[in-house]
Amino acid sequence: MRIVIANGSKQAAFIIGMFKSKENQLIVINSSRSFANELAHKEHISVLVGSPWRNFVLEEAGVHDADVFISLSEKDTDNYASCILAKKIFNVKKCICVVNNPENVELYKKLGIDSVISSTYLLAQSIKSESSMESLIKTLTLENNKIVVSEIPVLSRYRIANKRIMDIDFPKYASISAIYRNFTVIIPNGQVEIKAKDILLVVCAPEDQKRIYNFIQQEDRGKK
Amino acid sequence: MAIKNKIVVIGCGRLGSSIADLASERGENVIVVDSISSSFERLDDNFSGYKVTGDATDVSLLEEDAYIETAREVAICTGDDNVNLFLAHVCATIYQVPEVYVRFDDPDKSALISGNPHIKAIYPFELSINKFAALEGEGK
Repeated sequence: MRIVIANGSKQAAFIIGMFKSKENQLIVINSSRSFANELAHKEHISVLVGSPWRNFVLEEAGVHDADVFISLSEKDTDNYASCILAKKIFNVKKCICVVNNPENVELYKKLGIDSVISSTYLLAQSIKSESSMESLIKTLTLENNKIVVSEIPVLSRYRIANKRIMDIDFPKYASISAIYRNFTVIIPNGQVEIKAKDILLVVCAPEDQKRIYNFIQQEDRGKK
Repeated sequence: MAIKNKIVVIGCGRLGSSIADLASERGENVIVVDSISSSFERLDDNFSGYKVTGDATDVSLLEEDAYIETAREVAICTGDDNVNLFLAHVCATIYQVPEVYVRFDDPDKSALISGNPHIKAIYPFELSINKFAALEGEGK
């Protein structure tokens, strides 16, 4: 893969270390001469000094048709301009733009950038899922928090334990996409019986997350 | 849909403040945005529009304070080409402002706005070089 890493300081060094291999060709651009020298010295690679939002800099760096372009400048608009230039003029296949303001995630995507990452946003998401609900439940959010995948363990006292999925009247707003049982994965249909100690992978919208937990964790009054 | 009848000027430097003054003189409904409030001192004493202090790249400010959805015209003249490029794209594609005027120091930016008929760019560099050529021609 041909990967372009534009600007950034510590993150740039980390990403370079991660992708440095025989298969990848790294093109590194940095607008700070002193940091470029430092990077070149530490990582043993050549670093082009220049602003990655300038046409002639990308031209000189030879980023035409690169596979990935990662923009790590401090200012969101600098990253925006770099990514748009790489995409429109240099035909880069995938542009990744890092932003500070979480509001820019959706906006930049609308304006044509493939992938927008906000560290504040990711931090907030992980704090939310770490502190969310019962600590037993691991969750993963996708598509900027439009979809949530939750891992929900089944206990023997739950009402749904030892029942077939078709018999439990599972809510329409969520779906059991997989069941993890004894180190194997079962893709369920209505005939599959849910057992105690199963882990259900449930997909739903974030607003329904709590409802579906409550549904699954209902206890069977008959059981002790 | 909101009626588009306002003129929004982003960046109150020498160019931005003059554009805002001209529009205000014509009796237009003008809103000027700049991140530094002292920039508004450049405006004429008779300027009758609104002044909004804040970062225009924050779209919530554009929407709530600068009423961008009601803009018929936007003039973007901050000192940062990348900010100007981003704002031009936002105003033209997200808020469908019919006329977007934007100033760029770097003439290479033209390739990035060429696809959108609503964005019209001003390049001081090109104007200067053309003027130079014209003046030099006169002398001969």
